[in-house]
Amino acid sequence: MNQEERLNIIKDILLTDEREFAASIQKKIKVLENTVNEKDQLSEKISPIIDEKLSEFVKEIPNSLGPTITEALKEEIKNSQDAVVEALFPILGKMVKRCVQHEMKLLSEKINTQLNNTFSFKRFFRSKRSKNKGVNDADLIIQKQSSPKIEQIIFIEKGSGLVLAVYSKEKATDEDMVAGMLTAIKSFIEDAFKKEEQDLQYIEYDHYHIHLQNLSSYYIAVIVSGAYNVLYKDKLEDKLLEFASKIIKPEILKNKEILTKKIKVYFNNDNI
Amino acid sequence: MTTSKKIVLLGHFGVGKSSLIRRFVENTFSENYKVTIGVHIFKKVVEVSNSDSISLIIWDLEGQDDIKKTRSSYLLGTNGFIYVFDLSRPITFENLNSELEFLKENFPNIPVKVVGNKMDLVTKLYLKDYSEVFGHLVDFFTSAKTGSRVDNLFSKLAKELL
Ligand SMILES: Nc1nc2c(ncn2[C@@H]2O[C@H](COP(=O)(O)OP(=O)(O)OP(=O)(O)O)[C@@H](O)[C@H]2O)c(=O)[nH]1
Ligand SMILES: [Mg+2]
Repeated sequence: MNQEERLNIIKDILLTDEREFAASIQKKIKVLENTVNEKDQLSEKISPIIDEKLSEFVKEIPNSLGPTITEALKEEIKNSQDAVVEALFPILGKMVKRCVQHEMKLLSEKINTQLNNTFSFKRFFRSKRSKNKGVNDADLIIQKQSSPKIEQIIFIEKGSGLVLAVYSKEKATDEDMVAGMLTAIKSFIEDAFKKEEQDLQYIEYDHYHIHLQNLSSYYIAVIVSGAYNVLYKDKLEDKLLEFASKIIKPEILKNKEILTKKIKVYFNNDNI
Repeated sequence: MTTSKKIVLLGHFGVGKSSLIRRFVENTFSENYKVTIGVHIFKKVVEVSNSDSISLIIWDLEGQDDIKKTRSSYLLGTNGFIYVFDLSRPITFENLNSELEFLKENFPNIPVKVVGNKMDLVTKLYLKDYSEVFGHLVDFFTSAKTGSRVDNLFSKLAKELL
């Protein structure tokens, strides 16, 4: 036995336990290492698959679920068409109105500058007229382009909303329906605001102005197209009140034919 | 000669007021329930005799579970009422008596037709069971769905209005 051999034996005796222990620890560490590595390897392999599947799924939604969703939406809109219209209408109305107002303003400004640039006799006369009338030149020109026109005059019994007589240029709307609807709206608004002495006097509908002249047992609805303004309103009012006080008698109100004739004669001339 | 008359339909929600009018005026029916909000006005001219016709201006009001809640101005100047209830929903005819009493008190001399609607949904036996509740009050058993007795209802009322 040489020296080295002996030394080894001594080492063996002294260190066996530790070495076994170290080996077992090493083994455990290896296992741990492997698991960790494997997991990394695994997720490295799996992640792209999941990602791919997910994006495929997202891509597929319009195809797979899309029709179902669209169908449901369509159905929903169809079923609540009135609600949709009701929701959209004010918005559209406002947009259109704003747009028209804007355009009118532009037009008015344009005409004003035009007038300022070109002084003429014509303008002089117009200015005189507008001064007398108290409106500005531009307004006057625009107004002339669409002077107010009476489309229809309906005499309506208060409460029932039944038509007493009607005068219209062209048979366009069904006066019975208009009268009923106006009466319902009138009742609703007058009820809602609980102002007993106050009547609804004016409704704007589409591009029509509906002037409501309230009298005791009936009211008169005048449907006007074109530019309805304060001046026109005053004149219309005067004319209606004059008609009511001069022509209307209880027995005439009950006679549709006579009343219709009287209205025709009285309001024949558009330019009140 | 054509005269115009105002007809008003009253009754609980969803009893079929609008459907009856649609059936009468347009001859259509839909299972879809579109709640009436406010008032809808319909019109139909009915021939009453060779020389006379009558223009029915029909006010379709929103349903109320209590007639007293109806906006009273809608009822002004009415020439004839149609009170509708739903045969298949007892809650809509539970207070039939007091509802009709209200009309009688506030609108004496104005004809009222009482209508049990959705006849197609109930059986003869069922009607028999409930006959004590409404039997003596009902003028017409109708179905807006099948159209049964709808024209009869309106033309009977129209004739009474002349
Ligand atoms: N089976 C059947 N269903 C009906 C009949 N009449 C109406 N309906 C249905 O009942 C529901 C309500 O009908 P509407 O006519 O809207 O009822 P309404 O009384 O006008 O209701 P409101 O306007 O809310 O007061 C709808 O879904 C109709 O399709 C009927 O005679 N038979
Ligand atoms: Mg309804």
